[in-house]
Amino acid sequence: MDEPVPHPIPALSERTEAPDAALAARLACGEAAALDPLYRRHKGIVYRFAMLWSGSPAVAADVTQDVFVHLLTHAGDYDALRGPLSPWLLGIARNFVRRRTGTRESAAYDDTVAIHALADVASPEEALVARAEVEALRRAITALPPHYRDVLVLVELAERSYAEVAAICGLELNTVRSRLHRARALLASWLAIEAESPGARSSAA
Amino acid sequence: MDPHELPRTLDDRLAALQADFAALEPPPSADRAVAVAILRASRRRARASPGSRRIERWLAWPVALAAAIGLVAVAVRQLPDAAIHAAAAPATSRFMPVVPVAEIERSTDAYVVPARMPRMALAQFGLPVNPARAGEAIDTELLVRPDGAVLALRFVN
Repeated sequence: MDEPVPHPIPALSERTEAPDAALAARLACGEAAALDPLYRRHKGIVYRFAMLWSGSPAVAADVTQDVFVHLLTHAGDYDALRGPLSPWLLGIARNFVRRRTGTRESAAYDDTVAIHALADVASPEEALVARAEVEALRRAITALPPHYRDVLVLVELAERSYAEVAAICGLELNTVRSRLHRARALLASWLAIEAESPGARSSAA
Repeated sequence: MDPHELPRTLDDRLAALQADFAALEPPPSADRAVAVAILRASRRRARASPGSRRIERWLAWPVALAAAIGLVAVAVRQLPDAAIHAAAAPATSRFMPVVPVAEIERSTDAYVVPARMPRMALAQFGLPVNPARAGEAIDTELLVRPDGAVLALRFVN
C-alpha cells in the first residue's frame, strides 16, 4: 500500500498552481506564506497601475507595498464569489494611490481647466523623438482629473473590462463609458495643441 | 473636439506607452518590504501563546478533521464494501483532488464515504472559504484509501 503523499498544503492538481481564491483563503486563515505567490503573481499589475496613475516610481513602490500588506491583514474581506482577485487589488491600489498623492474626488474639475493643464504638460521639443512622445503622454495622463485618469489607465493601459472598472471604481457602466470618452477627448485635445505648437511644426518641417 | 478625430495617433501612443510599461516591476525594495511583512506575520503567529483561545480556534478544525478522517478510516476497514457504496449520496460537484492526480490513479482500492465537516476545514485542502461562513458545517463525500488517506472530495447537495 502506498503511503499518503506528504504535502503540507495539498495542491488541487500537480499540474496547476493554487488559484488566487485558495491562496486568499489560506491567508485569511493566518497562513502568511500564502501571500508570497499572490505577490509574485499580481505585483506587476498593481505597480504599473500606481505608476501610470501617479507618475512617480517612489509612490508606485509605496502603493504596491501598501496593497499587499493590506491583503496580508484583510484577506478575509475578499469574496471570491464577487470576482477575481486582481480587480479587487486594483481597487485597493486606487484608494492607496489617491491617499499617497493627496488626491480627492472633486466636482471642481472641469474639462476646460484640464485642457489648459494638459497644454502646460506638452513640450514640443519632447515630440522630436518617439520615446519623449510616450513620456509626454504619460505625464499628460497624470495631469488628467483623477476620475478620468482612473478609467483611462484601467481600460486603455491595464486592459480591464468596463465591468471590472465599474466594480473597481464603484461606478455605473455608462459612467465608465462616458468618463473614458471624456478622458480620450482631453488627450486628443492635448495632441491637437501639441501638433499645432510652433515647436512641433518646426520639427515636422 | 471630436475624440475620434485623432484616434490613430492617440491609440498608437497609448499602445506605445502600454508596451513601454509592460515589463515594469516594482523595485527590489518593495519585494523586500513585502517579504519582511510576511516574515513578521509568520513570527507573530508562531509567537502567539499556545494556550490562547485564538490559536485553539485555528487548531481546532484541523484536529477535528484529522479525527474525522481517522474515524472514517476505521469505519472503512470495518464496513463491508456493499455498505460503503450504498452510503454514497447524490453529489452536486465533481471530485476535487487534494493530492496529486497520479497518486489517485494509483489508488485503485479507494472508497467513497460521506463526511460532514466544518467549512473551515476546506482551507486545509486548498479550497476557498468564506470566513463569514467558516463555522457552518458542510456535507461532503471523501474518496479515501483503505489506510484513511483522503484523495479527493466533493460536495453533496
